[in-house]
Amino acid sequence: MDSTANQLRDLLKSGIHRIGELEIQTDVCSKRLIICHFADIQVSREPTFGGLLVHEGPEGAREISTYSEDGTYRFTKGQVNLKRGWVMLLQNAEDLRLALDQFYPACVGLFLAQQGGTLEIEMLRDKLNRQTGMYRFARSISDAGAQKLVQEVCGPAHQCAKKILWKLDAQTPLDDSEASRFNGIPGDLPEAEAIPLLCREACNHFVSECRKAAKAEFEAKPEP
Amino acid sequence: MSIAPKPTSALLIVGHGSTENPDSSTPYFEHADEIRRRGLFAEVHCCFWKEEPSMREAMYLIDSKEVYVVPDFISEGYFTQDVIPRELQLTGPTTEVRGKTYHYCLPVGVHRSMTELILKRAKEVAPGVDPAETTLIITGHGTGLNPNSTKAIRDQADFIAASGAGYAAVLDAYMEEQPFIAEWDKLSQTPNVVVVPFFISDGLHSYQDIPVMLGIESEVGAAASQREIFRHNPHSLREKMLYYSSAIGTERLLADVILDQVSDFDKVHK
Repeated sequence: MDSTANQLRDLLKSGIHRIGELEIQTDVCSKRLIICHFADIQVSREPTFGGLLVHEGPEGAREISTYSEDGTYRFTKGQVNLKRGWVMLLQNAEDLRLALDQFYPACVGLFLAQQGGTLEIEMLRDKLNRQTGMYRFARSISDAGAQKLVQEVCGPAHQCAKKILWKLDAQTPLDDSEASRFNGIPGDLPEAEAIPLLCREACNHFVSECRKAAKAEFEAKPEP
Repeated sequence: MSIAPKPTSALLIVGHGSTENPDSSTPYFEHADEIRRRGLFAEVHCCFWKEEPSMREAMYLIDSKEVYVVPDFISEGYFTQDVIPRELQLTGPTTEVRGKTYHYCLPVGVHRSMTELILKRAKEVAPGVDPAETTLIITGHGTGLNPNSTKAIRDQADFIAASGAGYAAVLDAYMEEQPFIAEWDKLSQTPNVVVVPFFISDGLHSYQDIPVMLGIESEVGAAASQREIFRHNPHSLREKMLYYSSAIGTERLLADVILDQVSDFDKVHK
């Protein structure tokens, strides 16, 4: 099989230029590959990148993506609060792949696996049943409680731009909602132009919220 | 120890991670960056239990057919013996999973070269302090759930005591089991005490919980990276001079220990 970097290069040639909040551009200011926040596209095309903070190479990706503009820890990378005001210059598709794996961990590989029919999706109950320590209690959340949480925690209205692929279990799909319908592409872009952010398993933030909700359900039960 | 380049293999560094503390995964990424710079592997990746990418997403990161998995954990215990093998579907030292060959190495914390890193860290944090008048305490979490969780620390205390480093005493102490690190002054008979936290990251335990137990802080503070001023040694407390270092896992040379574990794996299993 071709390397992830080579497949990424082919995706760019096919017209894809966006992943999450990142815009991927070629041949700007004589640089081969650049990425920036999609809201900074216009300024990035000005001479000397319009004064955006320039990062040479993929090394700065983790630092940029760890905190939002107001200093909040971005505990899940699907959050739609990526910092603006920077541009990253990359030499080749391998460096681009390295950078993207820091901004959106494994999301290129997940998309390629989905395209190739090899993506394995993990149901919420399987994920909760494997939790350890204090998170073990999360598994006792009711189906109704989990469905409610999806609508309260997931989706762009709650700062997450991932497309949810999982169900509660193989027989129980998520209730229809803005969160369950979201396609993983922020910014109203045609699907042929973006790599969607895929959520193949509930994130640890969601697991943490399940634990809290399960405890609340337990405490709300009338004593026998 | 030098390691022969493995230009067709991947290195997968496994850590715990956290959705609460931004510093928790920093050392893992720094170790990966350091090893990547050396160009020894075709690719170097990290994955986590409580952070992205998850262990089950790791296979979507890796192109290579051969993968060395190194737990960036300080002890052999529940995570390295149960959680990581289960999540990566490993059944032994070498496992074939979906067309890839995974080699499962020992965790960094049990490698003998950790002894040198602890001594280096202890000297750095207390420069010019006479070891003969100093107690060195290696501290960890400790849990009644798994006796192995303290073994790596007890072993290191024994190695250093026997190493001729000259410390008046070398002790192990824990957050949640005896001997308790909160009683560091009672455990020590010397005027100087150096405490080295045997954790991978300056996360919740080493930077926020233990300082309260030591008496450096009165209450749990902000995460390490969100502090304006790093703590200054020494601390004059409980009629002793206390020197507290950052977590051993933040030592840049830990990247070498990861490579040592890969090299040791090849010696034992290939």
